[in-house]
Amino acid sequence: MRFERITDAIGNTPLVRIDPSVHGLRTIDLYAKLEMLNPFGSVKDRAAWNMVRPGLSAAADEDRTVIELSSGNTAKALAVLAGMHGVPFKTVTNRMRIPEIKDLLLLLGAEVEELPGQTECLDPTNTDDPLTAFHQTLTEPGSAYLYTDQYYNDRNTQAHVEGTGPEIVKDLDGRAPDWFIACVGTAGSSTGVARVLREHDPRVEVVGLVSHKADFVPGIRTIDEVQEVGLFDPGTYGTIASVTADEAIDGMLTLARRCGILAGPTSGAAYFGAVRHLRELDDGPAPGPDSDPDRPAGRRTAVFIVCDRIESYLGYVRQRRPELLGRPPQPNSVATVSDAEVRGAPDIGVEDARRWIEHDRPLVVDLRSPFAYTALHIAGSVNIVDELFGELVRGGLPFSKSRPVLLACPVGEQSAKYAALLARMGHPDVRSLRGGIIAWRDAGAPLVRE
Amino acid sequence: MDVPLYLEPRLESRLASLLRARTFLHTLAGGLGSPLNVVLPDRIAENLAAFRAVYRRHHLSGGIFFAHKANRSSALVRRLAATEAAVDVASLGELQHALGSGFVPDRIMATGPKNPEFLWLAARSGTTVNIDSPAELGQLAALVRDYGLPRLRILLRLSGFCAPGVRLLTRQSRFGTAEAELDGLLKSVERHRDAVELTGVGYHLDTTSPAEKAVALEGCVKALDTCRARGFTPRAVDIGGGFGTDYLADGAQWQRYTTELTNAALGTRPPMTWRRHTYGLRNENGTLRGALALYPAHRPTAGAQYLDTLLSLPAPSLGRPLATLLLENLYELHTEPGRALVDQCGVTLARVLEVRRTEATDRTEATDHTEPSDRREATDDRPEPSDRTDNADRAGTAGRTGPGHLLVRLDANADDIGLEEHGVLVDPVLVPRTAPGGAPDTGPVTCYLAGNLCLEADMITRRAVHLPSAPRPGDLLAFANTAGYCMDFSADEAQQQPVARKVAVWQDGPADDTGREDASWHWCLDEQYWPHVNRRTKGSA
Repeated sequence: MRFERITDAIGNTPLVRIDPSVHGLRTIDLYAKLEMLNPFGSVKDRAAWNMVRPGLSAAADEDRTVIELSSGNTAKALAVLAGMHGVPFKTVTNRMRIPEIKDLLLLLGAEVEELPGQTECLDPTNTDDPLTAFHQTLTEPGSAYLYTDQYYNDRNTQAHVEGTGPEIVKDLDGRAPDWFIACVGTAGSSTGVARVLREHDPRVEVVGLVSHKADFVPGIRTIDEVQEVGLFDPGTYGTIASVTADEAIDGMLTLARRCGILAGPTSGAAYFGAVRHLRELDDGPAPGPDSDPDRPAGRRTAVFIVCDRIESYLGYVRQRRPELLGRPPQPNSVATVSDAEVRGAPDIGVEDARRWIEHDRPLVVDLRSPFAYTALHIAGSVNIVDELFGELVRGGLPFSKSRPVLLACPVGEQSAKYAALLARMGHPDVRSLRGGIIAWRDAGAPLVRE
Repeated sequence: MDVPLYLEPRLESRLASLLRARTFLHTLAGGLGSPLNVVLPDRIAENLAAFRAVYRRHHLSGGIFFAHKANRSSALVRRLAATEAAVDVASLGELQHALGSGFVPDRIMATGPKNPEFLWLAARSGTTVNIDSPAELGQLAALVRDYGLPRLRILLRLSGFCAPGVRLLTRQSRFGTAEAELDGLLKSVERHRDAVELTGVGYHLDTTSPAEKAVALEGCVKALDTCRARGFTPRAVDIGGGFGTDYLADGAQWQRYTTELTNAALGTRPPMTWRRHTYGLRNENGTLRGALALYPAHRPTAGAQYLDTLLSLPAPSLGRPLATLLLENLYELHTEPGRALVDQCGVTLARVLEVRRTEATDRTEATDHTEPSDRREATDDRPEPSDRTDNADRAGTAGRTGPGHLLVRLDANADDIGLEEHGVLVDPVLVPRTAPGGAPDTGPVTCYLAGNLCLEADMITRRAVHLPSAPRPGDLLAFANTAGYCMDFSADEAQQQPVARKVAVWQDGPADDTGREDASWHWCLDEQYWPHVNRRTKGSA
């Protein structure tokens, strides 16, 4: 496959059958439409390219900025597309809760603005919501924006009417599936694909998945939030069901660990919602060695969308299911220090410490951050922030046993742990500053700013 | 028929116990009139302890300043004076009240915009002043010099913080000095060094978003570093209030309710509100526009827990958890909780004057929970509504889509019960006049609550409220958790209707002692309450 431009690689994604032993459905073949294999990593590549393409060259000539309300994949695709054409891109959002995506957007050269949170003291006379303010900016005279408007733009839906939908039908040998399951974000992919499939076979059942209302699944709206989407028409969907974050992660794990599909939680939600919905309808006799071998006509098909890749969601998983990323504790780690060891850690009070420094000149290690250290510290001390210190000692003692060491942190808690650890590792004379730098200051001992 | 769209209040043990004390509440309202505000001073001390526990968990020291503006009660302020708490005052009257309640100036901070009288008493008494603008600093320094007063402790209120990387927009504020203008402000402080001592900087953001606050908190730490570099010795970051309150017992009810509100705004279900009010939502060609102008009444992370969450967030550019950042820079943390500190501390009682059916001038709810025609609301000795037969007929013929809801008129007005004004949607609790079982159970009803002013707009709720059974004249409706801004913030004597009296109530033992939940209640007028007299309060909370 040879392309002249990366944008030519958008679309024509594979349709992959999920092994029945994974989903356990006996009479339904479940297929995944791998939109994650689009060049910028998601289903949004199609819509972004289709929406922005007509205006890009004019935008470049007129020094316009491409602007969109997007918290993730659309912004990512638009940032790349705008950048390739020398046009700046800005995204405004109040929904960006995936820190990796923020950093990625900055890396791609996007400008990101986050809208303020809800007010704490309600002013009922204030009818000005942030989104209204955003729309006002766009319509100000002389505003130099190319607004792709993904929630209202028909070209979003059109990208799937012309691409995703026909591709599915073609790969199913010219038939529409019996079920189509999609998560609803902008409603573009579900609306577009549903239109094509229904033209083919009006009996197609479309299942729309939304996020459980109290929960957050990236890329999906809740049942209330979809109402804010211009492209959303409840008539598109035969069923609308909700998925929780936990269920989305479960689905994601199944796809990744058992199907080799390294997709994000949105796709996990689609898989989970698909299997949950289909299990109820999986009522035909199981075709197998015992049953009539001429029954394949009785088999039915379902397709769901795998919309993006897994890599950006490690923080999301860490926050919700930290055990999935659990690693065994390392031997020389401060986490292995027991409470008893901490209680027995050698320490020293401020007055004695001052005398000790005077006579024996121990190495004074300040475990606070460089910012705090720079502001005020014990004269002659060195700064190794606790995180870095933890890394250092994992490999062994970072200083000679012949040199006494005084460890200092804000209140003497961290330093006691490290003193216990270093003592266990064989350092003969390490002490923790009791009460920490705060006790030092409160005792009137000198702190310097250099 | 669907389950009614309840929004049941979150009632913790002490408040729940009070609302079960039916006879006690009727005695109070009978003697002191409707509306009546009831405050629970012991609870504020418990809330303080929860905030202090978060400080301890993060090894932080510093003051917890009760934002007095949340409630005018003397009992609450005097009860706090008996603890280690401090108080944040925003007017001359509040400062006088704090001083008169037993707070020494060391434990008071004057915040917000100030008039000359307020500034004078703060300066004269030695109250810490949170400086709102450079002009205010000049006025204060002049007072100190002109009258030879001792040097005064000040904090600087900053605003307009910038985040690295992603640009975090924040609502414009009327208050404080922009972070970018810190240099000029510090020059003023240097000029007035003989009159004032800079002890810290702070912010107060009107947002529920911890991410915005993280930017501001880190901005304050950096600002303090600038202060240190210029030879000042500041000690504290004041992060203001806005920790929030969780008003509802059941998050699922809130989610279901707001979904239906969305549907009502889109017209896909019948309206749920008086005159089709939509709380800021609107329908534009089938798509939802606007924003829900409501307090997020269900807040799983609120109060002390919100503080804990905020302190655990990483600083946006320095990366350390905010608590660690404060601690290792040797700073104290000041907080100014208002609403969060008076959570579960009060209830507003209002007497039911009249219950009648309201004409359905519009479509009514499809899930109409009004009772069948044979179960009537007025079964006590008061005159029954004259349109009874009429209604019964209509209900009989029109069935579920028949006449509208109950209109319950209370002896209180919308300014007495500020929940609606502050966008807090929560159901009142019915406190019947007669013992349960004394009247036939009507089953769930849908009603609008109207006030006692001769004014169409005087609705206690603009939404239809669902109650498990119909109120009757003489019953009380108890609005729980009104102590934060919803009790006396805007109460006045419109139409010469009396302003609610306020009483303090307490039990002898802690409310959460097993078997002691329903220990008998004592009361006195709010202004008569002193913690050592009315309750054996020993030491701090």
